[in-house]
Amino acid sequence: MSIFRNRTTTAALVAVAAGALTLTACGGGSDSAAKDNSKQKEDAKAQSKPVQIGDAKASTGPAPEVPGAKAGGTANVYQEADFSHLDPGQIYVSDGKLLSRLIFRGLTQYSEDDQGNLTVVGDLATDAGKVSDGGKTWTYTLKSGLKDEKGNPINSADIRHTVERLYSSYITDGPTYLQQWLSGAGTTYRKAYAGPDKGKHLPDNVLETPDDKTIVFHFKDAQPDLPQMLTMPGYSVVPEETDTKEKYDNAPVAVGPYKIADFKPGKSMKLVKNTQWDPKSDSVRHQYVDGFNIEMNHDDEDQTKTLLADQGDAKNTMMFTGQVATTQLQAVVSDKAAMKRTIQGYAPYVWQLNFNMDRVKDKKLRDAITLALPSASVFKADGGAYGGEVANSLMSPTTPGYDDKYDPFNRSKKPNGDIAAAKKLIDEGGFKGKKIVYAYGNTPVRQQQAVLIADALEKIGLDVQKKEIDSATWYEQVGKVKNGYDLYMTGWGQDWPSASTVFPPLYDGTTIQDGASNYSHINDEHVNSEIARIVKITDTAEATKAWDALNKYITEKVNPAAPIYYTKVFQIFGSNIGGIRYSSDSSYVDVTRIFLKK
Amino acid sequence: MLQFLIRRTFGAALILLLISAFTFFMFFAIPQDPALLACGKNCTPDALAIIHKNLGLDSPVPVQYWNFLVGIFAGRDFAVGHCAAPCFGVSFANNQNVWDTILDRFPLTLSLTVGSLLVFLTLGLGAGLLAAKYRGTWLDKTFSSASLVISSMQIYFLGPLVLLALVYSTGWLEKPKYVPFSEDLGGWFMGLLIPWVVMATIFTANYTRMSRSSMIEQLQEEHVKAARAKGMSSNYVFFRYAWRGSLIPIVTILGIDLSSLLAGGMVTEFTFGLAGLGRLALESVVNKDLPMLMGVMLVSAALIIVFNLIVDALYAVIDPRVRLS
Repeated sequence: MSIFRNRTTTAALVAVAAGALTLTACGGGSDSAAKDNSKQKEDAKAQSKPVQIGDAKASTGPAPEVPGAKAGGTANVYQEADFSHLDPGQIYVSDGKLLSRLIFRGLTQYSEDDQGNLTVVGDLATDAGKVSDGGKTWTYTLKSGLKDEKGNPINSADIRHTVERLYSSYITDGPTYLQQWLSGAGTTYRKAYAGPDKGKHLPDNVLETPDDKTIVFHFKDAQPDLPQMLTMPGYSVVPEETDTKEKYDNAPVAVGPYKIADFKPGKSMKLVKNTQWDPKSDSVRHQYVDGFNIEMNHDDEDQTKTLLADQGDAKNTMMFTGQVATTQLQAVVSDKAAMKRTIQGYAPYVWQLNFNMDRVKDKKLRDAITLALPSASVFKADGGAYGGEVANSLMSPTTPGYDDKYDPFNRSKKPNGDIAAAKKLIDEGGFKGKKIVYAYGNTPVRQQQAVLIADALEKIGLDVQKKEIDSATWYEQVGKVKNGYDLYMTGWGQDWPSASTVFPPLYDGTTIQDGASNYSHINDEHVNSEIARIVKITDTAEATKAWDALNKYITEKVNPAAPIYYTKVFQIFGSNIGGIRYSSDSSYVDVTRIFLKK
Repeated sequence: MLQFLIRRTFGAALILLLISAFTFFMFFAIPQDPALLACGKNCTPDALAIIHKNLGLDSPVPVQYWNFLVGIFAGRDFAVGHCAAPCFGVSFANNQNVWDTILDRFPLTLSLTVGSLLVFLTLGLGAGLLAAKYRGTWLDKTFSSASLVISSMQIYFLGPLVLLALVYSTGWLEKPKYVPFSEDLGGWFMGLLIPWVVMATIFTANYTRMSRSSMIEQLQEEHVKAARAKGMSSNYVFFRYAWRGSLIPIVTILGIDLSSLLAGGMVTEFTFGLAGLGRLALESVVNKDLPMLMGVMLVSAALIIVFNLIVDALYAVIDPRVRLS
């Protein structure tokens, strides 16, 4: 998914997004380990293998104990902004995802080991799903004894309701995969069904609930990724009896180990134990702490300073989606004791420089610009070694199929660009003096990066016209088909660990329209047909191989966007917070296993 | 007095109406669509149209403005429920009732203002009077120099320094936080102590300088000299004649400072991670949250008008020569 604005955050763009097979560097470490990018790459390689599918046994609770874990106490959480949404159907960003892991449950969820390997297991369902009809039909059976926080039993009607309400007009901000797979691409699914408010249901040949415990999805095409897709918080259950429609976004009902006891929008949220949650029904989550006190309005700088100082109540305090502030990086990495309280890893985002292929039509020119890009300098403006890393590919190290040896633009040897090679292409193509309109957001980071990029492009003889755009409307502006710009940076990360959530939205030419995420307007027949073919492959290993091949074709034969840098996450915690581990699923801390040491 | 109040109240209503109209129509002049914030990825024109309808942005702007005005006096119905008068609408960002949110944020802002006010008025006026009384002495020089240095500081500079010294480095105090007065008096006091001290330090410096210069000016006035010549005691003349006269410019500035503090100490709230009206105002601008923006703007404007009205009335109390009519 792209890096969108959080609805209630402050000015800057914030990294969002659910899902990610990110990796690496569980809890703590020395500063040397923190600086060891090669180690992180090794972890990335190990973990970018396809996600495993767990069986019924792996889906059965309780979750294995976390070594040294103790029960009791309240963990404090610092957050910069309020949660964008509390209605599961509207949740699509990371802060909501972390909260949802504590209070909501869906049909499936990820189980993660200490190396960051992910396995899809049943959450409310007994397993990750039974597939039939060549991948077009999926059947789920609910576990016994499931209840919401009010004690109401959860049955198949609640799952049906959860799916059907996603078609309602008030659900606009969440993921749309399931609706589109069931009822049509784009927004056509809304025309097929308007939601359950008038008593109508989806037809049985789309969604079937033959008994209280069974749910059957019937898709038009094979959907091999369904178990992973259903782990998204947007598909967490909303029990029918408790659904208050629009009002649900302010007061949702919990099914997970914690429930909301008090919520002051924009200020704080208090979570307490949900006594209706049965640990025997959950193979992943724990309920070690008595609750969480979440305080908003603490920016990264404030969070870092407080947690680094580790005084008083800060010892029991943790980050959710906060990160070590770039201004505090040196203070943190030079403090060996503090580094033991940190986690770090790759986030799923790849920042790329999109070519508007309606305007930059010559591939030789696109290759020249790609070769000239000073990637190393560009990512240093965005947090340095702890904020990113030079990207050698359009695929993230966190995506299954990522090939760390694949380096078509020689980024490993020329991380700051190969001006000589680029100049040669410019001369060959006769592009010297060509006017190029480079658009960038009006944030300090993007402004610094714009200077570096424009400088490099001018060195190869291009006439760069810089165009500054309000960052608040960045994706609206560059998302227009006739946007008037030649080059612009965008970020994208997977929704779950599969290239199927990266290549179709970014490179499928059939999706081009205002607001769509094919920002380069690439419309290549081979790419389009391959995307249509690969998304239907049910064998994960075969699909992964096919995505890798398509990645190489797109990069070498089309080059719609130049890879610049991968993003990383770096977090710090209070000294009394136990169980901290980087989550490959959320790209942030794994909140399901937090405890207080004393 | 009554005529004065009636005239000013009508004037205030007209000003608030103009501010509301200006803010509302200017909002739509900005080329940014609040619906985009709720549109998720792949925000197609179809998806945007649904959100426009949900937010009530599909009606003509004058109709939307009229509905807004009606809501203030008669309340309105929204998908999330009825919004009783005074209804400023429901936030685009989180569906919360705007008026309830303002009422929720106001106690923090009021606490910040009142606490710092008590400190900076006591210390600032006291130091200014002492400096004026002992003009030219080491005491005057010390107060004058210190106030000059401190008044050049800003909250965003002094605040982090104090946090570093008292919270991050030593752990002597907890980070500032707001605990309602009614829940825990000690927690309320300790939670706001640092912001009060920082705000008061900067304001104290300003009021010391202002109070000193105003007092010195008053002490040069003919009526003060005449009082002294009549044989009245030095202290009596100082407080009964000079101090009273010196308060007029101070009350004027205090009215402006108070209204802006109550309207939202944006910098203070951001420096200390607190959520009052100032943060709410900024968030509403960033989030293109028109209902919240309108609510905060109108409440802030009303506070400024009310305090200006009080200041005007106080002139007559302080200086009998002033006639409100």
